[in-house]
Amino acid sequence: MLQWLANPENTKPLGLVIFFITFCLIVVWVYGSKRRGEQLEEHRNIPFLDEEDASKDKSHG
Amino acid sequence: MFKFKHESLETNAGLLLVLTMLAISIGGLVEIAPLFMIDTTMEKVDGVRPYTPLEQRGRDIFIREGCYTCHSQMIRPFRDEQLRYGHYSLASESKYDHPFQWGSKRTGPDLARVGGKYSNEWHVQHLLKPTSVVPESVMPNYPWLLSTPLDYSDIGDRMRALRITGVPYSTNEEEYKRNVDKFGEKIAKTLHIPDAQKNLIEQAQEGNYDGDRSNVSEMDALIAYLQVLGTMVDFRQYKPEELVKYR
Amino acid sequence: MAATSNPATEQYNFDIVRKFSIMTLVWGVVGMLVGVYIASELAWPFLNFDSPFFSFGRFRPVHTSGVIFGFGGSALFATSYYVVQRTCQTRLFAPGLATFTFWGWQAVIVLAALSYVMGYSQGKEYAEMEWPIDLLIEVIWVSYMAVFIGTLMKRKQPHIYVANWFYLSFILATALLHTFNNVAVPVGLFTMKSYSLFSGPQDAMLQWWYGHNAVGFFLTAAFLGMMYYFVPKHAGRPVYSYRLSIVHFWALSFMYMWVGTHHLHWTAIPDWTSTLAATFSIMLLLPSWGGMINGIMTLSGAWDKLRTDPVMRFMIVALSFYGMSTFEGPLMSLKDVNALSHYTDWTVGHVHSGALGWVAMISFGSMYHMIPRLWNTQLYSVRLVNIHFWLATIGVLLYITAMWISGIMQGLMWRAFDDFGNLQYSFVESVAAMHPFYAMRAIGGMFFLTGMILMAYNCFMTIRQGQRAEQAAPAAAVASA
Repeated sequence: MLQWLANPENTKPLGLVIFFITFCLIVVWVYGSKRRGEQLEEHRNIPFLDEEDASKDKSHG
Repeated sequence: MFKFKHESLETNAGLLLVLTMLAISIGGLVEIAPLFMIDTTMEKVDGVRPYTPLEQRGRDIFIREGCYTCHSQMIRPFRDEQLRYGHYSLASESKYDHPFQWGSKRTGPDLARVGGKYSNEWHVQHLLKPTSVVPESVMPNYPWLLSTPLDYSDIGDRMRALRITGVPYSTNEEEYKRNVDKFGEKIAKTLHIPDAQKNLIEQAQEGNYDGDRSNVSEMDALIAYLQVLGTMVDFRQYKPEELVKYR
Repeated sequence: MAATSNPATEQYNFDIVRKFSIMTLVWGVVGMLVGVYIASELAWPFLNFDSPFFSFGRFRPVHTSGVIFGFGGSALFATSYYVVQRTCQTRLFAPGLATFTFWGWQAVIVLAALSYVMGYSQGKEYAEMEWPIDLLIEVIWVSYMAVFIGTLMKRKQPHIYVANWFYLSFILATALLHTFNNVAVPVGLFTMKSYSLFSGPQDAMLQWWYGHNAVGFFLTAAFLGMMYYFVPKHAGRPVYSYRLSIVHFWALSFMYMWVGTHHLHWTAIPDWTSTLAATFSIMLLLPSWGGMINGIMTLSGAWDKLRTDPVMRFMIVALSFYGMSTFEGPLMSLKDVNALSHYTDWTVGHVHSGALGWVAMISFGSMYHMIPRLWNTQLYSVRLVNIHFWLATIGVLLYITAMWISGIMQGLMWRAFDDFGNLQYSFVESVAAMHPFYAMRAIGGMFFLTGMILMAYNCFMTIRQGQRAEQAAPAAAVASA
């Protein structure tokens, strides 16, 4: 296994394939479904939920 | 059926941790691991040997003063560098360098083949006050190198530490004999740890690097190191086509 | 709008964040001062004063460690402890351990600086700390990891906000890099000196795997975490696209680790590692710019804030420099460009456009946002922030322009041939030609340092103002409770 990895002619395309498949999976997952997209975008608001009493942030004076 | 849910990842710190670890490990593994397992990275050339005790102490001083912040020790295979510095550096030329000192910046010139280019007297003068020999130089003066006696009391410990990292310094007859076979008797003697102090003083006096035989200064050690840089391999023995295979 | 009570100061553990914030300012001033000093040594070498302690070679790691680990590190500890609490809506896990990370980390920076000037160095760039300090860092880092992950585990908000992902990958990657690059054999138990376990090409590969990923995770991923919290928070608008931030995160974490070898183009390592690194460096442009766009577009529809709010301006200009550096980086990783740029000041300029333009500026913005909130007050002077902004911007521009010119000039002079095929210039002629640019760089640095000092003053006055209000108000606080 390590010997096989040691050959650059093997590792170069391997790296490319691993990278490309992973990347495609992530992109498909993230942008694949509208419902999931909406769910994900919900999380944008987390930084604004951090004060117990305040519903809106005290903006910079 | 397995259904991938990023939800489970976003909400599970442990899983996020593992996958992140995976993502950041692959690159290093594919690039670095092969270098440790194959020997196609190193040319087999004669002449490369571990540093003598005095040279190694000089190398320690080179690192202590941070010379690598301005001087590289890695000549690239370009025509201008060939003309300016000499034959491009081989991987095997730094195989006993713990750590490597290839550097990343040339505020001053490359030093990979500085050995033998200048006389010892020139080096002393230059290190004491660089502008006295190179008026435009921006290099600091190093007067303390000449006035500080070299501390060689722990040279044995240093060589033993290097031996653990894989440098073939010898501790007993058997290892010494192996070095004789590999490097010849003259060099094998300098690599023998029990004689380290004796060898160090002998080399400093014979070489007379700082122009003063009465004591061993840090200047002696540093110049001994500078003078051996890049001189170990005799390039007349090798064809360029052979060496280039390792790139 | 004077706040009379701020529940956040009670809801969260801010004590540790305050400590790290103050040290961010202190190390910022000290680290940049040393930087200006060593830059001046190159322009006016008499400043070395024939002293071993101040000579460039020993002093330069004091600068790099001071700004990267002192200033940058403290800023990351401060903001990560702040962000993780606020986005998880919980208090810090193991506050005692967190306090240990503070004192431990400060000890590391002081010990490192002292050991360098005394001549102890591992001789590997950005990893000059000798083995006892490395072990201390290891212990601190594991504690940091425990505090951070512990806090994530006890969060009240079910989702882990993306800023924390970036902080987490920074903590993990730094642990990995630090451990492997510093494996060394000490000369003795009671000596500082050690020798790297690896040699030659292997050591070089490990070192630049470390060196570039210190940039990638310490100076980029972590500061992106900072960006993903402070830019939306300060703008008062959520981040432009959360989905983009997910793609950004995975692509960046995955790709950065491949590119370190572009520091070793044309050296004695196998060619394929070099090519692979260059390829990934080019691809890295995509996630980098994705992140930049995500940050800048957060402000879309509220561009007027750029005119009125210098804190916002710091953040957005930081993102612009991030975009510029991450374009320049892939360019310099091309082997033909690298043949010219490597070993020259161009690299130094590139590092600083990232370090000053991106890292320092996003930290300034975040600190200006955070410090008033930590002490429950308002900024002492917005005008001073504005002056700081212009000093910093002019400083960076002077710096990188000087280094571009000197770098490219050096590269061209070294490879110039005359009509007879001989080298046209001796090396020292290139050194002499650098002088005006070294002076210009030092002046750029002075601008930047002056801004940093102004910031320290402004924050000091802000903190004092906050403390006074707190002393004056306990009665009111009790009454309102």
